[in-house]
Amino acid sequence: MNAKSEDMIDRYLEAVAAQLPVDERDDIIAELKDLILSRVEAKAEALGRAPTDDEREAILKEIGHPLVVAARYRKGPDSLIGPELFPYWLYGAKAGLLILGAVFALGLLIRLIGGSANFGQDIAQAFHGFFGAALTLIGSLTLAGAVMEHYAIRPKWLTDWQVKDLGAFGLSDPSTWGMAARSAGERMQAGRVGVRPLRMRQRNVVGDAAFGFIVLGLFVLWWMGVVHFPGVGVIYLDGENARLTPSPIWTMLFLPILAYALVQMGGAIFTVIQPQATRIRALLNLLIAGFGLWLTWAIFQAGDWFTLSVGAETARIAGDMTMLDLDRLRTIGDGPRDLAGIASTLSLGMTWWLAITGLSLVWTMARNLGRLFQSSPE
Amino acid sequence: MTIDADLFESMRLELRRGSLVLAVLACLRTERYGYTLRQALAADGLEMEESTLYPLLRRLESQGLLNSEWREEEKRKKRFYVLSPLGVQLLARLGDEWRAINGSLDRIL
Repeated sequence: MNAKSEDMIDRYLEAVAAQLPVDERDDIIAELKDLILSRVEAKAEALGRAPTDDEREAILKEIGHPLVVAARYRKGPDSLIGPELFPYWLYGAKAGLLILGAVFALGLLIRLIGGSANFGQDIAQAFHGFFGAALTLIGSLTLAGAVMEHYAIRPKWLTDWQVKDLGAFGLSDPSTWGMAARSAGERMQAGRVGVRPLRMRQRNVVGDAAFGFIVLGLFVLWWMGVVHFPGVGVIYLDGENARLTPSPIWTMLFLPILAYALVQMGGAIFTVIQPQATRIRALLNLLIAGFGLWLTWAIFQAGDWFTLSVGAETARIAGDMTMLDLDRLRTIGDGPRDLAGIASTLSLGMTWWLAITGLSLVWTMARNLGRLFQSSPE
Repeated sequence: MTIDADLFESMRLELRRGSLVLAVLACLRTERYGYTLRQALAADGLEMEESTLYPLLRRLESQGLLNSEWREEEKRKKRFYVLSPLGVQLLARLGDEWRAINGSLDRIL
């Protein structure tokens, strides 16, 4: 064998060796070298002469590309996401992309309806935002999948699943998202015939949570000033635009309100992932409603919520317990259509809205408290 | 309608894949090194790529089914493989399983 041939084989083996674990490298390479030399000798015997360089190279090509040959010796998984995890990865990517698509489409729609100053730029920004978020989502999913594959991590929800846990998997079908919007009607219809199938109930809970997550997400983006909804904070009054200026209470409660929305989003994600965990969800909802009740009370107690202004003229939107009077509620809207009259109507409306919100949160707490101590989960 | 050649080939490979481990174990009742093992398999109609065979031998050895040792033969050091006692037991059980599957398939086919 000439020096050039030896060099070709050594270069091939070096390329394989570079991909192998250090502790096994010498052993594997020695065995591979013996194989190659045996193949070359067999070829020489068959030809009755020494094989040419091209013929030697053909033998190496038959054995395989160094990366492929070395990969066969790997002890870990052969693929980044194996066949067992791939369906879960695919579901996560599909459902995540659909939700992202819906959020960005909704954001774009709101901007366009609100009278976009630059139509093309808004569309370009929405696409840019969507693709950035989509790549981050796919990258994160792939990283998580690769870690699970490498360390053979198989969470309980992956191996020990039950049919009642499958509600969230409808999320990859956008046609099920409408369940949230239709749920009330369907519940009434099912109630009339005295039947409420489990499947519908389960899917509604998950659908409601997914729907709520998107709406809360938009609220958080608006609250943080990331997106703007044109027309919010402006009231049309006698041919002029009256402006609503928030009182200091909203600045004071900026972080608690943000935290409240984020905690609710967390609750919605938990519902989507674990729709069957009735008691944990009840506890979560109880705590969230308690937090909401405290916030509502803090806003109510502040008593001064907005200032309505047209030019130099201003009127306060404020309220207290004395306004929670049914006789006063009956007169709502009867006042003059001037700045003071509108502010008075808004004050009454805001006071009653806060009171009803508070009562609704108390009811939510009582309902979840009941679920928490139910003898058997629903 | 003709059968797609690629489809046939992928199914043929799938069919063969499971039987190769059994063939390798059976061939190693006699001590051999990689190259002669491959020749023996090929002589019995089971061609196997080196890039599949050699990693398989290491895997079977790490599972305790094969024993190996480096020895000099024909002026070169070669790694010889042979079934371990555990490999002998496993081969016997896999052989029974194979014959049972074969019998079932013969009846079905």
